[in-house]
Amino acid sequence: MAEQQGTLPYGIGRFSARLFTLIAGLLLLVAWGLFTYSRQLLEGLVVTGLRDIGTMGGAAWGLYITFDVYFVGVSFAGITVAALIRLFHLDHLRPVSRMAEALTITALILAAFSVMADLGQPLRGFVNLFRYARPQSPFFGTFTLVIAGYLFASLVYLYLDGRRDAALLARRPSRLQGFYRLWAAGYRDTPAERARHDRVTLWLALAIVPLLVTAHSTLGFVFGIQSGRPGWYSTLQAPGFVVMAGVSGIGLLLIIAAIMRAILPEGERVHRGIFRWLGTLLLLLIVAYLYFMVAELLTTMYAGSRHETEISRSLLAGEFAWLFWGSVAGLVLGALVLSLRFLPASFQARIPTISPRWGMVLGIGALILIGLRALQGLDLFSPFSVTTARWLAWLAVALALIAFLLLLPFLTRNVVAAGVAAGILVNFAAIGKRVLLVVPSQTQGMLLPYGPGWYKPTWVEISIIVGLFALGILLYVLFFKIFPVMEVHPTEEGAE
Amino acid sequence: MRTVLTISMIVVGFALQITSYFFLAAPWNPLYSNPRVPFAPALFILGVMLVFLAAVVYELLPEKQVQ
Repeated sequence: MAEQQGTLPYGIGRFSARLFTLIAGLLLLVAWGLFTYSRQLLEGLVVTGLRDIGTMGGAAWGLYITFDVYFVGVSFAGITVAALIRLFHLDHLRPVSRMAEALTITALILAAFSVMADLGQPLRGFVNLFRYARPQSPFFGTFTLVIAGYLFASLVYLYLDGRRDAALLARRPSRLQGFYRLWAAGYRDTPAERARHDRVTLWLALAIVPLLVTAHSTLGFVFGIQSGRPGWYSTLQAPGFVVMAGVSGIGLLLIIAAIMRAILPEGERVHRGIFRWLGTLLLLLIVAYLYFMVAELLTTMYAGSRHETEISRSLLAGEFAWLFWGSVAGLVLGALVLSLRFLPASFQARIPTISPRWGMVLGIGALILIGLRALQGLDLFSPFSVTTARWLAWLAVALALIAFLLLLPFLTRNVVAAGVAAGILVNFAAIGKRVLLVVPSQTQGMLLPYGPGWYKPTWVEISIIVGLFALGILLYVLFFKIFPVMEVHPTEEGAE
Repeated sequence: MRTVLTISMIVVGFALQITSYFFLAAPWNPLYSNPRVPFAPALFILGVMLVFLAAVVYELLPEKQVQ
């Protein structure tokens, strides 16, 4: 049986010691997240940093909603890429199609859990949504279109898209044969079935693209149409949200594609052309987002109300400046990394070759320092004095810059590494921008005469979010241990 | 048969969405925020799911046997 298992492509059904360690680690994190969530459920939201706006000087939405917005954003790229591949016959991108579909589904599940975590009484919220929700509310659109429509449509797309592979794998004896037969549901890969499948996926793709733009816009409208909340009330929220969703999602897809390329024996199928195409798309989306951001800031600074201007000041030079400029730096550096390959070949040839090792070591050092500084800023771990922490933050910035300069030659010549670096940078930036979208307008954007509030997440919130990330990775890894990550090649199908 | 069933599902799905959105959930009622019919939002979601489920039905139902 073990030999038969070994014949399935893409490492399906094979669990190495390293993989078991990874799964055990992820399960531990999920268990820790569940434990902290049980504490929140028993003791209430008082164990979090969430408080009433105004009267309690806090923020009612914090880390959970930040990551709900982030996860919904990540989900955008997956099914978009899959649908675009089908609509525009981008066959060279097919190797990442299923990775993208699974990313969408995983991210949407995590988004739903993030919202549930934000509710003091999740079951009551869940029942009342279906019972009393008002269709006029953008929340209704968010939950019905995103969770019901978008998640369901993605599941249908993944299921139908995988039937051919399931049918091919069902021909080979393995422990998963019954599962593949069930998935294939009688599919035999005849020309008539293929033609029917093509018709269905075309219509599905046509239906999904407008649905996902609408669904993502509604989440932008949750913030954008709140006229009583300076910083949120903006026409650009919905389009900006869609574009940022694309940035974070494509960035994560680049990282996943690079990991699959590195660990799978058939990894070369995720060829460099895919990274070039996705990188170019990501670059365009980053530039579009930066344009939106500058337009929004110029408008609020030049002609906004007093409250709007105060929010913008807190972002540019106040309490949130470090996060704002850090996020902008992530986006700009991401765009810069992706632009490197457009340099003339003669110029690239003159760039000296430097080993990326030192750049990576310094980069990791900078990340550790930034992490320590962030923990101290959140009052979660304070080993340094305020002055030392400030110097450490500047040291981290200097190290990050040196690391970036040392890595530039390597990133110029390696399109995969450039994609991964840009993916990491823009995802950190996306999380930062989501925090800035959710929090400052609640703490600083008061029209009523309350003083500025504050919000700092507690260990409970951070643990639950870490647990959710672990759950997402676990689901993703386990899914691709039972189902092929890419389309099964004719030489691998085991067909008679 | 398969095409008829698929189209029926799509039509019923959209009809359910429109009916629940514009009438049963009462978006134009200025006095009450609750839907006129409890669980009308759930009907809307059912409508969305029905439309996409039509794709599965279209693919999974076997071809009509030609004599």
